[in-house]
Amino acid sequence: MTTKRAGREVFGFFFSLGRKTGKTRVFALLGLVPIILAVVVRVVLHGRSGDVAAVFTEILMVFFLQFYIVILALFYGTSVVAEEIEGRTLSYLITRPIPKPAIVLGKYAAYSLLMFLMVAVSLSVSFFIMNAGRLAEARLYLTFLSYLGVLGLGILAYTAFFTFLGTILKKAILVGLVFGFGWENVIQYFPGSTQRFSVVHYLKSLLPYRPMGGGGSAIALLLFRLEPTSPPLAILMLAVIAGVFLALACWVFRTKEYLYEE
Amino acid sequence: MTAVIAASNLSKWYGNVLGLNDVTLDIASGITGLLGPNGAGKSTFMKLLTGQMKPNIGQVTVHGRKAWNNPADFRNIGFCPENDVFYEEMTGFEFVTGLLRFYGFAASDIRERAAKVLDIVDLTKDKDRLIRGYSRGMRQRIKFAQAIAHDPEIVILDEPLSGLDPLGKRKIIKLIKEFKSQGRTVLVSSHVLPEIEALTSEIVLIHQGKILAQGDIPFVRELIESHPHMISVRSSDPRALAARFIGDLSIQKMSFAPDGRTFVVETHKRDDFFGRLTGAVLEGGIEVEEISSPDDNLQAVFEYLVGK
Amino acid sequence: MATVREKGYAHWDGTLAERRYPWWPITRTGIRLAFRKKAFKFVFAGAFMPSFIALVGLYISERLEDFKALVRSNEALINVNPKYFKTILTSDGLLFLIILVLSFAGAGLISDDLKHNSLQLYFSRPLSKRDYLLGKMSVIFFFVLILTAVPGLLLVIFKMIFAGSFKFFLDYPWLPLSILGYSALLTVFFAFYVLLLSASTKNTRYATILVFATYIFSNVLFGILMGIFHKPAMALFSISANLQQAGAFLYGQKLPFAFPAVWSFVVLAGICALSVFVLGRKTRSVEVIK
Repeated sequence: MTTKRAGREVFGFFFSLGRKTGKTRVFALLGLVPIILAVVVRVVLHGRSGDVAAVFTEILMVFFLQFYIVILALFYGTSVVAEEIEGRTLSYLITRPIPKPAIVLGKYAAYSLLMFLMVAVSLSVSFFIMNAGRLAEARLYLTFLSYLGVLGLGILAYTAFFTFLGTILKKAILVGLVFGFGWENVIQYFPGSTQRFSVVHYLKSLLPYRPMGGGGSAIALLLFRLEPTSPPLAILMLAVIAGVFLALACWVFRTKEYLYEE
Repeated sequence: MTAVIAASNLSKWYGNVLGLNDVTLDIASGITGLLGPNGAGKSTFMKLLTGQMKPNIGQVTVHGRKAWNNPADFRNIGFCPENDVFYEEMTGFEFVTGLLRFYGFAASDIRERAAKVLDIVDLTKDKDRLIRGYSRGMRQRIKFAQAIAHDPEIVILDEPLSGLDPLGKRKIIKLIKEFKSQGRTVLVSSHVLPEIEALTSEIVLIHQGKILAQGDIPFVRELIESHPHMISVRSSDPRALAARFIGDLSIQKMSFAPDGRTFVVETHKRDDFFGRLTGAVLEGGIEVEEISSPDDNLQAVFEYLVGK
Repeated sequence: MATVREKGYAHWDGTLAERRYPWWPITRTGIRLAFRKKAFKFVFAGAFMPSFIALVGLYISERLEDFKALVRSNEALINVNPKYFKTILTSDGLLFLIILVLSFAGAGLISDDLKHNSLQLYFSRPLSKRDYLLGKMSVIFFFVLILTAVPGLLLVIFKMIFAGSFKFFLDYPWLPLSILGYSALLTVFFAFYVLLLSASTKNTRYATILVFATYIFSNVLFGILMGIFHKPAMALFSISANLQQAGAFLYGQKLPFAFPAVWSFVVLAGICALSVFVLGRKTRSVEVIK
């Protein structure tokens, strides 16, 4: 079977399996938090659409960008390989006539789609609740699609990196936590090119930050000290990050021997 | 006979622990039992053979092709692992059909094969239950089912009968024997001797990572020249018969069973003993009721080789 | 005449005394298993960094003349008083490192037992549920105390050694009690917190994420709610903010947030109570399969 076809089959297998697990339900429930907050904000700031839009842009996106997609990517990315080893189900996969890279790529794709769906639902509902008074504006939908695109690219890049970590490290989760919530939170505020050594820098460079309706002049938490990279270059860098780490993950998985802990 | 599976100077270390020690082995078609105690290296050998691990030294091939990183060969290989692990959130049917997808079968073919194999292992009634809720025996059977669902030419079974009740074991043993008549190659591992004996007479004995012996049970028994053969003779006058062999230097040991009708000898020269026994019976006019070899079985062979 | 015993094995005739601390083997094993992981040793060593930096600060404060050039504009940093201790020992950095250490050492304490069905093995011994939980908690007690109480008290001692007098202690005699009190708060809270999350799942990797993510999420939520409502009481949603509020109270310092410290104690106690409830349900010798 070709890698492409095998990857498709692996994708189907793990997408349908991933939907049913308890952990997916928990992470999906976590996506309710911005929806609840959106409702609360609408009640508290009713009528003041400029403030509402600013709150979404400046505050709720912090939740999505610097917490939700990172935690999702960390769990699902490391799970691509780690859960097969911990669960000892790797035997079922590598004794099938499918190239090993197809297993990594198929699972990566399945989990990325699962995460994207969770994020998309959460983002859509919270965004449109927050902007309920301005649904006739065409620009609103472009802004929404931009946010969705940023989070989608973030999922792809982070998941690829954590998938690679999962193929080479036994304790990938801990290294991933330090990276995702340590390195990413600190380095992005470094001046000059240093902040370019983080995934979140490129994601923030793509944010369509304009407080809708001119709401307030508060410095956006998200864009604090950001020296943005141009959007085309940011997209390219995110694609390169995803591509390189996925390729490395495939190569490691193909060549490395995985032993179950007795 | 051409070897289907061939290992050549195969060695595998787990850190400082030697899992397989310079194993050279050819396995032909038919059923071969891989017998050894826990930790002997059976699972290690099977994992090397199924490409789950890389040999440190030597190689193992299936139909002449190396096992490591050769996924195309798995089209014709079915593997039933020893571990009791599954994708627990799947039903039995989903588990089997899901894994069948990786062979490129059409959707209708997948459903048909899954239904057939679930019927074979008696899980049709429970196919839509989550594996999480299966009993130990059901879990073992679904594991077996996924190994054979794609009709592999070579079937590698690591402790396939563990956890099964006697009826379940009989069914699986019958099925494995059918594989032989279909011309397939089956390698079955176990540490339970009667299970292997029920399946096949072709055995490979493994202990502490080394192959101790290979062949059919009587052949292996013959190889163990250092151990005397035990022969049990039941007769109307065992002591009179035994007295005729007291001076025989090839007899190592002689004992009498509590039933008072049987004496047991241990001898290096079995055929000579039988010749002299015939003579002794005729000369003494002693009635012999039964002659048997208590150690012409796998248990005895194994114990001799392992040194218990 | 003396009794003539048979040669061979004879049963011991003494009385089997019950050991006094049945939880101790569980604690000892938990600590030993944590240190078996190579990466953990590295992380654990790194967790002493804030204390080491504080020690350097203490040294500089006593050698101000030598470092005048360096600290000209930073005198406030090296003014060693209870506020200095409170700043170091309630800092976000130290709390983050404690959470990291506990993710390694504590996340699998109960989840591994659930995964491998070990509870039946534990409770088929003369071990009560209380001893089992105390044994597991003591692993966390060990690590948190070593990272908070021990460095805190040592810093007081080093301050006096560097100063060459007991003046510091005489000025602030209650400081060691504050250090111990705050350490006790952290120890008890983190023990309940980590075991609550460890008992929630059979998957240790997931438990590790839960320990870390819940902590981070609480801070993110605080940030979001603060941004929306601009009310200091939103800090009650943050674990670290509550710990810092309680810590400031115990050190007798100005509270970082404008609400009574007792609210923070109530929130922390609430999490502990939830943990007691969940642990009571999860740690059973009999597994209920639905």
